[in-house]
Amino acid sequence: MRIAWLALLLPSLACAQATNAATSSGAAPDLSGVWSVKGSPATRYLSWGFSKDEPPMTPWAEERFKATKPSFGPRAVEDSNDPVNPTTLSAIGCFPPGLPRLYLQPFPLEIIQVPGRVIMLFEFSHFIRQIFTDGRKHNTDLGPTWMGDSLGHWDGDTLVVDTIGFNDKTWLDRAGHPHSTELHLVERIRRVDRSTLLDDLTIQDPKAYSKPWGGQLTFQLRPTWNITEMVCEDNVNFDQFLKNEANPKK
Amino acid sequence: MTKLLSSVAGLAGLLLVSVSLTAHHGQAGYNTTETVSVSGTVSEFQFVNPHSIVNLNVKDDKGETQAWQGELTSPNHLIRANWTATTLKPGDQVTMTGYRAKSGANSMWITKISVNGEELKMGAGN
Repeated sequence: MRIAWLALLLPSLACAQATNAATSSGAAPDLSGVWSVKGSPATRYLSWGFSKDEPPMTPWAEERFKATKPSFGPRAVEDSNDPVNPTTLSAIGCFPPGLPRLYLQPFPLEIIQVPGRVIMLFEFSHFIRQIFTDGRKHNTDLGPTWMGDSLGHWDGDTLVVDTIGFNDKTWLDRAGHPHSTELHLVERIRRVDRSTLLDDLTIQDPKAYSKPWGGQLTFQLRPTWNITEMVCEDNVNFDQFLKNEANPKK
Repeated sequence: MTKLLSSVAGLAGLLLVSVSLTAHHGQAGYNTTETVSVSGTVSEFQFVNPHSIVNLNVKDDKGETQAWQGELTSPNHLIRANWTATTLKPGDQVTMTGYRAKSGANSMWITKISVNGEELKMGAGN
């Protein structure tokens, strides 16, 4: 039994040593791999949000929150106006979840590291997030975007990611919490052992929340998985497209 | 079979309720407090995102054929549970158990499914 435990621990120890060695030598730790959010009964809320507690909304956010009709979480309704998952049959859905909500879509992501960049390839509708680690400044020339502009730097074995430049079309989570264009997302991502990645997220948005809040995501390595095609529009919007083609408006 | 018939029984008033042709997202449209089971013949299997769809012809207790629709998670999750696009084929005998649509339509979110007597593993996701 002890040998079995040792066999289980060795890869983790090897990874920890490799990470420490990489950090002390100045090389970036290796976060690469296919990862999926790991839940537990205690973190059931991760199906819809980042925290079991309600965030401290401003009146501006409260008003918008009340207007949201989510498909998931404690306020889930049948006639949802979720821009990603509407359930009213006439609604158009499958808009980008944006960040940080994209993490809560129940699909894996792959992290790929190349010099100067950490790339996140999300299975959900194949969104790509580029986190530039080459020391550049934020570039928001494109204007507010669904995914924002992400910069990263290493703090020891932790990748610190700073993201701004969001539009305000997305919800922060699947429970309908709003945000403004002032959203500033800070993440601290580290690989604590070979199979586990932690991401501590801090959400700052003074227009929508009276103080910073957030949560922690635990990711599990999926060494046998590949990121596969996942097109949100497939059997909802495409069916409607075919119906419109068959009965064009005059 | 008795259980199946009891689940289907009493649906005469719902004969005119068409099966939802557009997949729901999430389970808010389903009554998750109880499950129903139906058995029948596969008429179509859509292995598509974001949710796969099983269309089934089910004989009710009067011998009339009712169209049922079952919703599953995405193909991505299903292939990781060893499904393929041809795991279900027209003509296969399927029993599906799950949460029925709150609207009363003959549709469900599948929680358990077997084909030709063999239970299939379910993928993650919603």
